[in-house]
Amino acid sequence: MSLGAYVVRRLLHLVPIALGVTILAFFLIHLVPGDPARTILGNQATDQRVALLRHQWGLDRPLPVQYEKFMGRTVRGDLGTSLFYGVSAGRLVLQRLPVTLWLIGFGALLSVLIAVPLAALAATHRDGIPDHVVRAVPLVGLGFPAFWLGIVLLFVFGLHLGRAFPVGGYGNGFAGHLHSMFLPALTVAFGIAPILVRSLRASLLEVLESDYIVTARSKGLPERRVLARHALRNAVISTVSVLGVNIGYLVGGTLVIEQVYALPGIGQLMINSINQRDFPVVQGVTLVFSVMVVLVYLLTDVAHALLDPRVRFE
Amino acid sequence: MKVRSPLLFLVIVVAISALGSTAALASRAGHASGTATPKRGGSITIARIEDSQSFDKTNVFQNESIWLTEQIMEPLYTVTPDGKSVKPWLATSSKISNGGKTYTFKLRQGVKFSNGKTMTSADVKFSIADAQKQSKGWGYLDAAIKNIATPDPSTVVFHLKYAWAPFLADIALFANGIIPNNWNGEPRAQFYKHPIGTGPFMWDKRVIGQSVTFKRNPFYWQKGKPYLDSVTWSFVTDENTRELQLRGGQIQVDEFPPFNSISKLQHTQGVTMTLFPSTRTDYLDINEQYPPLADAHVRRAISYAIDRKAIVKSVLFGFGKPANSFLPPQVPFYDRNSGGLQLNIAKAKAEMAKSKFPHGFKVTMLVGAGAQVESSMGQILQSAFKPLGITVTFKQEDTSTEFNDVAKQKYQLAFSYWTMDIADPDELVTFAIDPKAGGAHSFYTDYNNPAVINLSHQAQRETNVAKRAKLYNQLQQIAAHDAFLGFLYYSPFRYAYSSKLHGFFVYPLGNYHLEDAWLG
Repeated sequence: MSLGAYVVRRLLHLVPIALGVTILAFFLIHLVPGDPARTILGNQATDQRVALLRHQWGLDRPLPVQYEKFMGRTVRGDLGTSLFYGVSAGRLVLQRLPVTLWLIGFGALLSVLIAVPLAALAATHRDGIPDHVVRAVPLVGLGFPAFWLGIVLLFVFGLHLGRAFPVGGYGNGFAGHLHSMFLPALTVAFGIAPILVRSLRASLLEVLESDYIVTARSKGLPERRVLARHALRNAVISTVSVLGVNIGYLVGGTLVIEQVYALPGIGQLMINSINQRDFPVVQGVTLVFSVMVVLVYLLTDVAHALLDPRVRFE
Repeated sequence: MKVRSPLLFLVIVVAISALGSTAALASRAGHASGTATPKRGGSITIARIEDSQSFDKTNVFQNESIWLTEQIMEPLYTVTPDGKSVKPWLATSSKISNGGKTYTFKLRQGVKFSNGKTMTSADVKFSIADAQKQSKGWGYLDAAIKNIATPDPSTVVFHLKYAWAPFLADIALFANGIIPNNWNGEPRAQFYKHPIGTGPFMWDKRVIGQSVTFKRNPFYWQKGKPYLDSVTWSFVTDENTRELQLRGGQIQVDEFPPFNSISKLQHTQGVTMTLFPSTRTDYLDINEQYPPLADAHVRRAISYAIDRKAIVKSVLFGFGKPANSFLPPQVPFYDRNSGGLQLNIAKAKAEMAKSKFPHGFKVTMLVGAGAQVESSMGQILQSAFKPLGITVTFKQEDTSTEFNDVAKQKYQLAFSYWTMDIADPDELVTFAIDPKAGGAHSFYTDYNNPAVINLSHQAQRETNVAKRAKLYNQLQQIAAHDAFLGFLYYSPFRYAYSSKLHGFFVYPLGNYHLEDAWLG
């Protein structure tokens, strides 16, 4: 099967997945106790005023009827109107999406930038002091919860050490985003890099003992070139899958990081919308999250196949 | 440029970030240092835990929206700094006639909207008539208005259906803020996306979920004010991040830092930590639908058993006061000798002995999941009620569900609070003790004492201040004896702000007049 046909087939799989997600998201959020009308009107609202608002929103209709309306709108690309803000839920989600994509993308990039040199250092000094240090120290980072790590990074780099980075926020323009998103992305990277280091180190050790590496060395190639051109290229294949799986998890994990760094991403939107019982937004964010996870896994599979010619698209 | 090494890329990223922060620091250093007289210029950012929901002043119930609308749309009268009275604002005077059924307001001359148009009586009539129509909103507070007349552009006459003592306080409600006639020619919903008013600030921009910015109204009627060029309200949910942003100079005001950080902020250089007296009162809701709690002796026993001082000390870290009435001290006619029951275990046991449940009973207390204050109070009350034979078990719910269950009276004991919207006790009294007119089953408790309800109705129509005070004193005495709610504590509005910010003052109703704020 060609790459194009494979991608199209995988994208078609998105349809039943998205449908399943909409059903789950819709009924779960509606079945959870709590009333958006009551939340918005406050504790001084009378039952009559709450009932009036529920009627205006159509929340007094049977759930299947509400789901039918929701699906009717969704297939036309309309996620409905936010109950809290009174604006298009789809527009709200799309406005926030770039922030989350920045966080995930920048975080993944930093984790690779941290993991590759460390794994190479450990593999080339097997059982030496650098190897032990590289294997042990990043695990400490893995043990820190993201919210704690975030506050510490903000305290150290945002408040002290020359206030090198802003204390939260998304920034303006590309340079502003790069500046503001560095600490959040670093928090993400601290969570993923240790896993990548271990995976890549193990792959490198295996690859470095391969016959073709022995051949490369016997031809007199410098060790640095053997590592960069021959060993890393093959060792990175399995690490791509590890990275893909972790980015998939990370899509959900951005919630905490966005809260700590005051990032207006879809993770923060999700938490606030759940608290406010803003049904259309919760449904929209869930749908986007699920599509993102599926796409990340698809990209991982494609990257894996492109890196490893033995893999066939089936 | 070809990046030859990942480490080099990291260095570049850090270098770009450092350059950006240098620029940011330079801009912060641009503010002049403090002087005693107000200075014009500069902008501030206020960070708070919630984003604004809507700027439709007539239909919004969220404080994070209301306090912003007040910077743009102003009422005829406004609340005094002590929160106990009202004073002329867009009106210069009011005359009461016809046995308290007619109010004639003279409008302030030269008041303009931020679009440059002069405010007239037609704008006032339109604004308040529109507020009155809002059945899902605050219209119920204007229910006494029969009609509004505008004999000339600077006079407005309100004819009431009956004498209504809280009328001036109701007129000072934010929902009755003045807007241009016919929403300045726009559809209603469109107008409230960027409202226009006479206030010190005017609409600038909003990024939903991130920030709202207002800029100076060049036509503001108080000459020379506001001093600030603009004000931005940012949405920062994490309290630690807000504090770090304040200390780092990224924001100038941290709204509602947690009680456990007050002492630290009071001793933080460059930060002013102020506890403004508020109308916030916290209660233990007692649902009389649960038979043991319908017994007044049991409710009195519970009230006697509450160690309010211990709650203030351990939950509010001492930054509050035990409550002795369901009305807070910042409300007119609050009675400091209301007879609110205070800690007395002997009396608590005596009341239990007189009740139909002398050997105690089991009761469930609703507690918000993750709500640390409620959780701590719950544990204090659990041990306090134990000697009375009352066994408390907790039911944890997320705050939205908890809120909903209290409103639907699906609880036995629960926590709730109130903050005032007007400078008159009527709003709270009606809600708390009048099961029909309040529309909320007497604060969701089912409390129903005809004597108290009758006193409330009399106080609504009584325009003589001394007589009204007497009625509310009586009402508070009876309500306290009935112990229909567990009055817990009064707590302040907590604001940490830059020491460079002057003239920042929060009223007991929670609003602030930012036209007086300036940066030194």
